[in-house]
Amino acid sequence: MRHIVSVLAIVVMVAWVSPVLGAQVLHMYSALDTAETQLYIPEFEKDTGIKVEWVRLSSGEVLARLRAEAKNPQVSIWYGGPSQDHISGKKAGTSVPYKPPLDWGLQDNAHDPDWSWVGFYFGAIGFGSNTDFLKKAGVPAPTSWDDLLKPVFKGQIAIAFPYTSGTSYTVLATLVQMMGEDKAFEYWKKLNANIHHYDKSGSAPVTQAGLGEVGIAISFSHDLIAKGNAKGYPIISTFPKEGTGYEIGGISLVKGGPEPELAKKFVDWALSVRAQNLMQQWFRIPLNPKAEVAKGAVKADQVKLINFDAVKAGEDRDRLIKRWRSEIGQ
Amino acid sequence: MGREAGLDSAREVSWRQMDGLRRILREPVLAAAIGVIVASLFLFVIYPLVRVFQMSVVEDGRFTLHVYRDLLSKAFERRPLYNSLLLGVLVALAGTAVGYLFAFAIARADVPWKRFFRVIATFPIISPPFVLSLAAILMLGRKGFITRMLFQGQWDPHIYGLRGLVLVETIAFFPTAFLIMLGVLQAIDPALEESSLNLGATRWQVFRTVTLPLSVPGLASSLLVLFVESLADFGNPIILSGNFPVLSVQAYLHITGMVDFSGGAALAVILLFPTLTAFLLQKYWVGRKSYVTVTGKPSPARLSVDPMTRRLLLGLCLAMTGVILLLYGTVVFGSFVTLWGANYTLTLTHYVSVFHIGGRYLRDTLILASVATPVTGILGMIIAFLVVRKQFVGKGLMDLTSMLTFAVPGTVVGIGYILAFNEPPLLLTGTAAIIVLLFIFRNVPVGSRAGVAALQQIDKAIEEAATNLGAGSGRTFVTITLPLITPAFFSGLAYSFVRCMTAISAVIFVVSGKWNLITVAILGLVENADLSQAAAFSLVLIAIVLVVLGLIQVGVGRVATSQMGYEPSG
Amino acid sequence: MGAAVRLAGLRKVFEGRSGSGTVVAVDGVSLEVEDGSLVTLLGPSGCGKTTVLRMIAGFETPTGGEVYIGDERITTVPPNKRRTSMVFQGYGLFPHMQVYDNIGYGLRIRKVPAAEIRDRVFSMLELVGLKGTEARLPSQLSGGQQQRVALARALITEPRVLLFDEPLSNLDAKLRVQMRQEIRRLQQRLRITSVYVTHDQDEAMTLSDQIVVMHQGRVEQVGTAPEIYNRPRTLFVADFIGKGNFLAGTVRAVDGDRAEVEIAEGGVRAPAEGFRAGESVWLLLRPEAIGLGPAGTGRWQGRVAAATYLGSEIFYEVTVGTQNLLVKVGHPHGAIALTQGDPVGVIFDEGSLHLVRREVAA
Repeated sequence: MRHIVSVLAIVVMVAWVSPVLGAQVLHMYSALDTAETQLYIPEFEKDTGIKVEWVRLSSGEVLARLRAEAKNPQVSIWYGGPSQDHISGKKAGTSVPYKPPLDWGLQDNAHDPDWSWVGFYFGAIGFGSNTDFLKKAGVPAPTSWDDLLKPVFKGQIAIAFPYTSGTSYTVLATLVQMMGEDKAFEYWKKLNANIHHYDKSGSAPVTQAGLGEVGIAISFSHDLIAKGNAKGYPIISTFPKEGTGYEIGGISLVKGGPEPELAKKFVDWALSVRAQNLMQQWFRIPLNPKAEVAKGAVKADQVKLINFDAVKAGEDRDRLIKRWRSEIGQ
Repeated sequence: MGREAGLDSAREVSWRQMDGLRRILREPVLAAAIGVIVASLFLFVIYPLVRVFQMSVVEDGRFTLHVYRDLLSKAFERRPLYNSLLLGVLVALAGTAVGYLFAFAIARADVPWKRFFRVIATFPIISPPFVLSLAAILMLGRKGFITRMLFQGQWDPHIYGLRGLVLVETIAFFPTAFLIMLGVLQAIDPALEESSLNLGATRWQVFRTVTLPLSVPGLASSLLVLFVESLADFGNPIILSGNFPVLSVQAYLHITGMVDFSGGAALAVILLFPTLTAFLLQKYWVGRKSYVTVTGKPSPARLSVDPMTRRLLLGLCLAMTGVILLLYGTVVFGSFVTLWGANYTLTLTHYVSVFHIGGRYLRDTLILASVATPVTGILGMIIAFLVVRKQFVGKGLMDLTSMLTFAVPGTVVGIGYILAFNEPPLLLTGTAAIIVLLFIFRNVPVGSRAGVAALQQIDKAIEEAATNLGAGSGRTFVTITLPLITPAFFSGLAYSFVRCMTAISAVIFVVSGKWNLITVAILGLVENADLSQAAAFSLVLIAIVLVVLGLIQVGVGRVATSQMGYEPSG
Repeated sequence: MGAAVRLAGLRKVFEGRSGSGTVVAVDGVSLEVEDGSLVTLLGPSGCGKTTVLRMIAGFETPTGGEVYIGDERITTVPPNKRRTSMVFQGYGLFPHMQVYDNIGYGLRIRKVPAAEIRDRVFSMLELVGLKGTEARLPSQLSGGQQQRVALARALITEPRVLLFDEPLSNLDAKLRVQMRQEIRRLQQRLRITSVYVTHDQDEAMTLSDQIVVMHQGRVEQVGTAPEIYNRPRTLFVADFIGKGNFLAGTVRAVDGDRAEVEIAEGGVRAPAEGFRAGESVWLLLRPEAIGLGPAGTGRWQGRVAAATYLGSEIFYEVTVGTQNLLVKVGHPHGAIALTQGDPVGVIFDEGSLHLVRREVAA
């Protein structure tokens, strides 16, 4: 009897070993939220028959990985993450240009001049507040950057590390471009007192606010909605009246990646109406003019945007991060 | 005659080792085995560490300490070091205390339901350590279950940070302390305590003057081992550290978030100092000073306390048990909740998504663990056999090297592997091989420790008889030794498998699109505050581990849990 | 014909455990074992006898000296290539194998065909009296039966030399006596050269063709049982074997084969055995060589100090002058029981005296 069970156990374990062979496989790093990536990838696989093996990493982490793997790239494509991070990638030499065949015009600021990266969505930085917290604290939701410094929010704000998260770096770059570098750091030092703790992932603060672990999350509006009130959490989104930053989400091909042709197909697909329509589920604003926008998603004309120079942000990334680390001390 | 002996002894030592070497060279199979093992240990244990060290002190081809200077000159870079040490000390103390409580209650206070307490006291071993962090947030976060129920949300337990980490790591690691202390208490000769009573001492005096002093080596071991485990812990701090940065996480962030390889490597080396020191102290100093007299069989539980104390101890054990059950229970509950914090209707959707989306991770993890575990077991046994039964030059070094992965935190090893195997001729990053190798060499000490213990219990005469009858080393090992150490072999396998399934701190560096692990996925979910999802995944993982352990147990008949849990996990 | 086993100047030095210095376990042992004979290495624990045995088997490598089997120098031959078979103290039976497989192990290694193994195992089982136990596990056998399995396993490979490492020490007294007779019978029947290690004198005396008394790594004396017992050459041997009374004395004169020895109680005449006038000696008088008679009779007068009744004999301690003599009185039924304080006469025959060299501190 003992022997039978042992043999069975071995057979079961061996049966597990059934690697997928034959199908074409595209390897990718996705900076989109895991749950979100899981909405889109199966559709791509269905539409094209190409299998995708992906790892979810925050944008900053993707950049770090690509630079570390430069001699032996593990993936062919970087999907998601703000354009300034993809620009840093171009600067680091980890990307390779690709111009997708489009039957619609992509704005200049929505792609790299050399086509090293291509934009596929827009999103603005906003504040997500837990309504229960607001009620208990007796304050309205913050509507300006200065509001965030109020003592009532001490230990109640969540945001990610600017070096791991594209979201958070966008906030830093926005502040720098809005207030000037020194003032921006002064501001963040004051903000630091109100921050509960830093996350690795840019959209994690939203769920934490939803849970009530913190009162306010600073994140992109699509994340605020998709992971906040759309999910059922008591979150309301507000935007700073002084102006806010935004991201053009990008895709770039990895230099030396194992499946460049499949990667190109993915880019084409991501910009197609079909794929862009899928983004309604996450309240992202699509760039393809023929795609539909989800109800409740925050469009560019609904908030005050600053004139955000993504290229400068991308080039200054290393320097600003270094300064942030030594001045904020994290 | 004394002088003569002195002159001969120096010659004798090297002669014996050379003789040992000569004997081995006469047996080609044995010599080949040793050669392969030495080469593997060098390549997969030593070399990655060398690369980490190298990365931290070499810049532009020159030796420099400026990376360390840079790091240590900044207060915010020094803080993780203090924090890690502080946390380590606190966890060592708390964990040892809890472990001693349970061990004493079982071995000396003869509490009822001993088996139940044993299971509780060793359960945290089979769960990924960071499940407890998840539970802590669910229970004691601002919107935690306890926080809301008991404190109406008025009091913030500040679970993120030192407090939470001490709580969580104590529970995660006290089983190790428990097993050490149980072993020590059971090995103390009853005659010592009985004669003390006989001479008129009160029970308290017996404890204070006999039991406790004899337990000291065990206590010291436990403190040191737990200190190392806490420092090496990665899964818990990455979730729960909040504004209390620790070295393991910082090293990771430097590498994965900032591409600061030299900084990350330097932090890893700094992390290595206290852990290596504690490990060596434990192995070579405390480990040798065993005061217990071995009476052959571990003595059964004794009743050495008065009824009041017994009730008190029982109460404390029950309280601890309650805490542990509450934590794990919260995870179970959380896995069925639609949206923790907002919508508490029960649902199975998270479990559905475990198999739907997580199926790939489960498959990968099981395949890799299934491949690595048998290799680990066999390699461990061979090393144990060589270390216990054979004499040769460098034997001590082989023994130490194979144990090294216990002392070295996973973070350091992980960084070492990505540095060492990122370019030809050893291009392994992104492959399954690198994960399997990591599993194997992180867990070899488990197998070899179990093997060493088992071998030491075999009457040498049995193996000598086989040799005497004509069997060479290989044949003796296969036909005689191996069958006799089978139980230890299987318990080593079981524990290795558990460690593979719950590993995080080293493997998080080497997962790729092609091969991903369930623990990494769970971590991602927790970071993303998808708590219910993470809870469901965790429980499925624990369930799989239990099933496999059960299968192994059925296959062997008995899994020696007394051998498990002795070493740092993750 | 030559010796079956020859040891030449065998030496073994052990390196002590971290810091406790080196131990010279065997210090120049030379020995020749005749083909077909059983030689016992006898001595107290720590005398080196087991180490010598293990060097013959190959489990220890000599620090110096050589081991020969026949004309072949086997000092550096690995233990599994020597034609020596060992019966271990704890038997060393393979606990996970049945008796049949234990015994057949050596043959399987030599790739003997299965049918032949079968025949030989069964005939060996008969030889050692274990017919019918072939399917049992060692844990299911009694101590004596396990012993026989160990013996059978060792014999079946037809070794040139059979080695015994205190094989009977784990058995109770009666079984020990029975087993040692069987071992001896078997050994003689098969005419197999054997080296036997024990600390038990009775065993040594019963089994051996030659006894080698060892002490502190050296050979004290080699001889037959009567030689060792009646004519021990050193104080150690005399004291180790049997019980004895030792009287310090000096040789006054030698007359032919008799020596006049002066002891505290007066002068006695003992067999000279090569001693010369002026030499310091111990006079050895065995307890069984002394008789007790009524006060006034015998050579010396003494008083009974203590009596120990052992059933088949009584041991008396008799004080003579300043000495306490141990006296054995067998067959007590006919004798009068003496009690403490009784005066007695001490009777002995001078021919039963034996002289042993006495070391005098310089």
